[in-house]
Amino acid sequence: MAAISPQHTFDGELTQPLTVTQGNMLSCVEPDYRGFIAPNSLRRMTRVLKMGLATSLKCLQDGGIAVPGAIVTGTGKGSLQDTERFIKEIRDYEERALNPTPFIQSTYNAVNGLIALQQKCTQYNNTFVHRGFSFEHALLDSLLLLSEGTPDVLAGAFDEITPEHFFIKGRIGHWKKETISNDQLYAHVSPGTISGEGAAFFLLTPQATEKSYAQIGGLQMLYKPSSEKLQCTLSQFLEQHGVQADEIDLVLTGANADSNHGHYYDVLTAYPKWTQLPFKHLCGDYETVGAFALWLGAMIVKQQQVPQHWFPMLEKQPGRMRNVLIYNHFFGEQHCFMLLQQVK
Amino acid sequence: MKAKKGSINLQQTMEELKQQLKVQIIEALNLQDTRPEDIDDNAPLFGEGLGLDSIDSLELMVLLERYYKIKVEDPREGRKILQSVQSMAEFIQSKQPA
Repeated sequence: MAAISPQHTFDGELTQPLTVTQGNMLSCVEPDYRGFIAPNSLRRMTRVLKMGLATSLKCLQDGGIAVPGAIVTGTGKGSLQDTERFIKEIRDYEERALNPTPFIQSTYNAVNGLIALQQKCTQYNNTFVHRGFSFEHALLDSLLLLSEGTPDVLAGAFDEITPEHFFIKGRIGHWKKETISNDQLYAHVSPGTISGEGAAFFLLTPQATEKSYAQIGGLQMLYKPSSEKLQCTLSQFLEQHGVQADEIDLVLTGANADSNHGHYYDVLTAYPKWTQLPFKHLCGDYETVGAFALWLGAMIVKQQQVPQHWFPMLEKQPGRMRNVLIYNHFFGEQHCFMLLQQVK
Repeated sequence: MKAKKGSINLQQTMEELKQQLKVQIIEALNLQDTRPEDIDDNAPLFGEGLGLDSIDSLELMVLLERYYKIKVEDPREGRKILQSVQSMAEFIQSKQPA
């Protein structure tokens, strides 16, 4: 697996100090792409394309597979930079002499197309665009493909933030009015949160290999549930996957200090013994942030250690991490539980 | 050096036009490591030389339309026009009103 995020994650280590951003818009720490993408292709790509392609290639490299059995991704917004450029050119040039490149590249499946072309992969290729469920549906589709016999699936997600999009979402109250830094996020419980972006890719296989980080024990999505429904689903989810409440060693939550939608995380108060850590101060909030959570959870399970420098709120390292639960929702609408387990 | 959108300078000499074209090509195609003086007037733009590809040819067609109001209708004609900076400049000048 591999990830590009507002933290130093591309090298696949959790050793770099927390990157602190002043302001409510977190941008990715981008690597030098030249090691992954030819200069002639690179010059035409916008940020999200470079992030998506480089992350997927690093993931394949990490998994030791060049041509996956399927490529399945999710994105909430696709390529914003290209979309904005194309729309601006429509206005500037009065709908004449339009450059086709930003239009072609702004399509949601552009990253998948680039991966397939680069790796000469003619297998199943699909991109899910379902707001806060985009990555989760890509993951679900990947799990179904694996159960049907596909040998390995490259699953991932990517989203970017631009100043224009940040402004638009700000108008509908997505972001905090006060300007804060990400390391102070949870001290500012008020309407809205901070925005983020990122790309994360996973090579999924039906059986564990020596390179496996963790195994996906369960996935459950809920659309606009009531608090009662959420509570009931969580206990059913654990039961369904044969996990007792006291066997959950760590919970990564999408709590983002947004007072409009924070009450959903109260579902976890029924389990006071669980060690709960919020992760949005690392990456901000965006539609496919669940992919970052999955990457982080899998890294923690593999290394059997929570990076203390990224989680200063952690009082005590959990013991052995066999079961890690991830719970996130996207502005109160799309909710998801994911269960990550240590490879046996 | 950057030409205004859709502007045509009738008094422009051939040398000035070629220089302006090089700047526009670099900007339109985002040739980050290339400077105007790196582009030889007669060097092929595709294959060897700048090593451009078919998507770049589309972008160069758009460039001609945007800055010089010239629409290349026949793709075969385009191949000859886009051979080099020299051929592009000659084509632009041939389309200027006398």
